[in-house]
Amino acid sequence: MSTPQDRLYFVADFNVDLLARQLSNTTRPGIETAIAPAGPVIAALAAGPPAADWSGVVWTRPEAVSETFARARSFERVDHQRAFDEVKTYAAAVARFAARARSVFVPTWVQPPFEREWGMLDYRPDVGVAPLLARMNVALADALRDAPNVFVLDASRWLASAGARGWSQKLWYAAKCPFAPSVIELAAADIAAALDGVAGRGRRVVILDLDDVLWGGSVGEVGWSGLALGGHDHVGEAFADFQRALKALTVRGILLALVSRNDEPTALEAIDRHPEMVLRRNDFAAWRINWDDKAQNVAAVLSDLNLGAESTVFIDDSTVERARVRAAIPGILVPDWPPDPARYREALASLRCFDSPFQTQEDRARTGMRSQERSRRSALAEADNLDDWLRSLEIAVTVDALAPANLDRAAQLFNKTNQMNLSTRRLSAGELTAWAAAPEHCVLTFRVRDRFGDYGLTGIVGLELGAARARLVDFLLSCRVMGRHVEEAMLHVAAAHARAHHASTLVAELVPTARNTPCLEFFVRSGMRAASEHVFEWDLSQPYDCPASVAVVDHARVVTSIEP
Amino acid sequence: MDEEAARRLVYDAIDIVNQQLPTAKRLSKAPDTVIVGSGGALDSLGVVNFVIAVEDKVAEATGAAVQLLDEHILVEGSPFHTVGSLARYIAARPA
Repeated sequence: MSTPQDRLYFVADFNVDLLARQLSNTTRPGIETAIAPAGPVIAALAAGPPAADWSGVVWTRPEAVSETFARARSFERVDHQRAFDEVKTYAAAVARFAARARSVFVPTWVQPPFEREWGMLDYRPDVGVAPLLARMNVALADALRDAPNVFVLDASRWLASAGARGWSQKLWYAAKCPFAPSVIELAAADIAAALDGVAGRGRRVVILDLDDVLWGGSVGEVGWSGLALGGHDHVGEAFADFQRALKALTVRGILLALVSRNDEPTALEAIDRHPEMVLRRNDFAAWRINWDDKAQNVAAVLSDLNLGAESTVFIDDSTVERARVRAAIPGILVPDWPPDPARYREALASLRCFDSPFQTQEDRARTGMRSQERSRRSALAEADNLDDWLRSLEIAVTVDALAPANLDRAAQLFNKTNQMNLSTRRLSAGELTAWAAAPEHCVLTFRVRDRFGDYGLTGIVGLELGAARARLVDFLLSCRVMGRHVEEAMLHVAAAHARAHHASTLVAELVPTARNTPCLEFFVRSGMRAASEHVFEWDLSQPYDCPASVAVVDHARVVTSIEP
Repeated sequence: MDEEAARRLVYDAIDIVNQQLPTAKRLSKAPDTVIVGSGGALDSLGVVNFVIAVEDKVAEATGAAVQLLDEHILVEGSPFHTVGSLARYIAARPA
């Protein structure tokens, strides 16, 4: 997962060298790191990161940021509001730093776990240190709410997980780092997960085995009524709880799928009828339940979902099956899996591969969308040919300019779309907003729906409108709607915009990657003139026709709004 | 604590500090691996981190706090010169 473009700049008021070393040598080998010169954190924040493509880690001790908090630790009576004002000043400096960085991660403030402060009085409002610190952390997160590329990470969890030796006074006295390597390791893992999330490298689907993964026992042998699942039994409870954790993942937009060696009707009957099943048939985007090779079945599921191995986690209780899938499908994440179901939920949480910088409407609706997709596929099976099927879908595309309401989803598409992506520019929400603000730039979003349901915002066009030539800088479309003539509808809209700006030629230059061959194939068959292997042109004296099977909605409104 | 048990604790500490080192510079788990002195791979922060890790491992194993980090670590003939000398030093300490 390491990518050479990951660069991390550390700003801290303690010796953060161990964290930088952990990240660059173990957690993310190859990542480039740099540490701000020793000195006040505020000065380092004001100086900014080395360049705009660096991300930052800003980690401070609360007593160094808030003089009021330092006094509170000495049991002085303090005005808490004054501490919150100090937090706001600090947060403003972090936000200004973040405006010059790709993304910034800010661990929450923590106290040494051995400190009892006021003891039994410590949680009395306006007295204790611990509640003041908790409110300072909330104030920090609130103050950074409007900085879209700043992410506050929960450092208290690292300390709690590391145990009593996570905080090292000795390391603090000897090396000016209060955190033991066990905490540093956890911090590095969370920061790496956040980097993956920002870069769109989060996993998007979990493919699961059934027997002894979602339930205890073999359904083929004991029948659905004999499975260990839920009920007044600690093993059954563990499986039900694991299912709840998986169900929660679907709310975050992670898809679930099944690959199981079983008789399909028997397995589906258990899913449909077992009263303690948390996950039901509609929670799974795809499945292969048969006696074929598991690696082939995993590949078939990924083909169904139009997703790659790099997007996928495979969970199986069998070491043999895990080894087989790991060897056959490079890039897939196949975690070692604990034998005890009581550890399943913890094992899932420890994967740290589902981080995303956004939570969009499309994420929340994703599993429902896959259910709609199964209905479409059923209709396709009954259609005489592909064109009839596409016409029967009644696809409608709504065009909107980039706006605050669709910014998160647009940035998400920029960072997750691989196959139908002309230039594969990875832009944060801030970078995208800045690019779109230039007068010669225009970013259009495409929302797609059909008679089966709403696909959500799935397409983006970025245009650079020159005097004679309009350049298609970005052209990206979610894999869920590829091949349904939405691509041609997007080109139709892009050409209309370019014509409205009196450009004579629309130019698209593809930047080839290992994943965007489908995009190249589309442009080859698009009707545009191939000026070279990767450059395509359209003479704007002619409109680019919209396909008959796609209706473009509200296009005129958007065109009118950008008329020069 | 016998010398073999002490050596295992030192190896556990090596696992910890190796996470901070590039692959090519990682300490091998062998008695003659140099920790401090000519040919050692650790810088001053690495030495401090390593010694504190050894202290923690010994404390975990024996239930008693130990004090190994002092100004004599870096002098000629220090017990921290190699893994083997450190293991002997830990084993020879009074329980």
